[in-house]
Amino acid sequence: MAIKMKLLNKVLCAFLFIALPGLILLSPLVSAQVNITKNARVDTGNAGLAVRVAPGEVLPISVKLSNFGGGKRVDVLLKYSIFTSTGEEIYTTSDTAAVETTASFVKTVQIPFGTAPGVYTAKTSATYQGQLVPATTQFSFTVERKILGIFQSDFFFYGGISVLAGIFIALLVYFLVRRRRTTRFTPLDYSNIPHDKRTFYEILSDTIMQMRGRVGEQALEIASHIDGLKIDKETGRVLDLTEPPAKIIATLVSEYEKLLGKKVSFSFRGNT
Amino acid sequence: METQKTILIVEDEKNLREAIADILRLKNYLPLEAENGKVGVEMALSKHPDLILLDLLMPVMDGMAALKKIRADAWGAKVPVIILTNLSATNEQLVEDMVTHKPMHYLIKSDWKLHDVVAKIEDILKA
Repeated sequence: MAIKMKLLNKVLCAFLFIALPGLILLSPLVSAQVNITKNARVDTGNAGLAVRVAPGEVLPISVKLSNFGGGKRVDVLLKYSIFTSTGEEIYTTSDTAAVETTASFVKTVQIPFGTAPGVYTAKTSATYQGQLVPATTQFSFTVERKILGIFQSDFFFYGGISVLAGIFIALLVYFLVRRRRTTRFTPLDYSNIPHDKRTFYEILSDTIMQMRGRVGEQALEIASHIDGLKIDKETGRVLDLTEPPAKIIATLVSEYEKLLGKKVSFSFRGNT
Repeated sequence: METQKTILIVEDEKNLREAIADILRLKNYLPLEAENGKVGVEMALSKHPDLILLDLLMPVMDGMAALKKIRADAWGAKVPVIILTNLSATNEQLVEDMVTHKPMHYLIKSDWKLHDVVAKIEDILKA
């Protein structure tokens, strides 16, 4: 009996000094495992890809699951929903992901074709076995229609800039051409030429200028090859006449008619 | 009240002459019509129009001969003349005559619309 009592005391002592502390140490371990699950997180974002989508396009949602499992695989049910600014759900879908500790992936959600333009919220929630607290995350994005493949606001913005730039360039070209024409087609002054020859110079000069306006630089080229006619090849100014002036005019008019198929009308200076 | 300006049209093509006359009437001018250079000279020297529109290639008397006769007259030396012709100035003598007898304009018919010709007439008469 005494032996039995001694054995019982030994077992009791062993329990008090070995097993009980073991039990006390075990409890925090269980508790720690609960804490890991409690800290499980789900984070979502726009994947750095899009904060603006058009109806019918896909919205990429970057999902990051962390602090799961502690080495054990956990099946997580992920629910993706799209809400209007007034809180109305317009789309929902769900997926299951097996997670050990962390997982990252991009989920694409197609925005319904009939979605009205506006600001929307993409909400993602994770549900898993042993879940203690809800794990939900969200971010905002904009739905905007596209015109010719460009977002409406961009279309009007860049379209407006393009139109303004186009108008500016058109005006610039118009004024440059007008200025050039004014410079090129302002009758050249021959007041330094003796009066008896001046009219011939003026007719020749005006005829070259008129034809230059109609056919371009070819008019100067033709004029520069007329016998007895010396001109400035840049401006068309008549520099000298070394043949009878009337003959030169007749030859020039004839050449223009023959080579360009254009007849020549002219006016006498000092007349309206 | 401003007096109605008179314009003598010397042109052998009847349709063209009448078409120009009609436009001028619409513009409140008084057109006179001559079918050749000889009649044109007679009308010009007797009626003293404010402007003469003159064709070059015409029967009986051509336009250049008519212009020379008109310019030989004291009144005719200064009357504004517009040549309206199919004939290009490709002849040396024609050019010489033009420069000597100075019409206001030498217009090739195929390059000008009638209303533009009438606009030239109006410009001269308003000046």
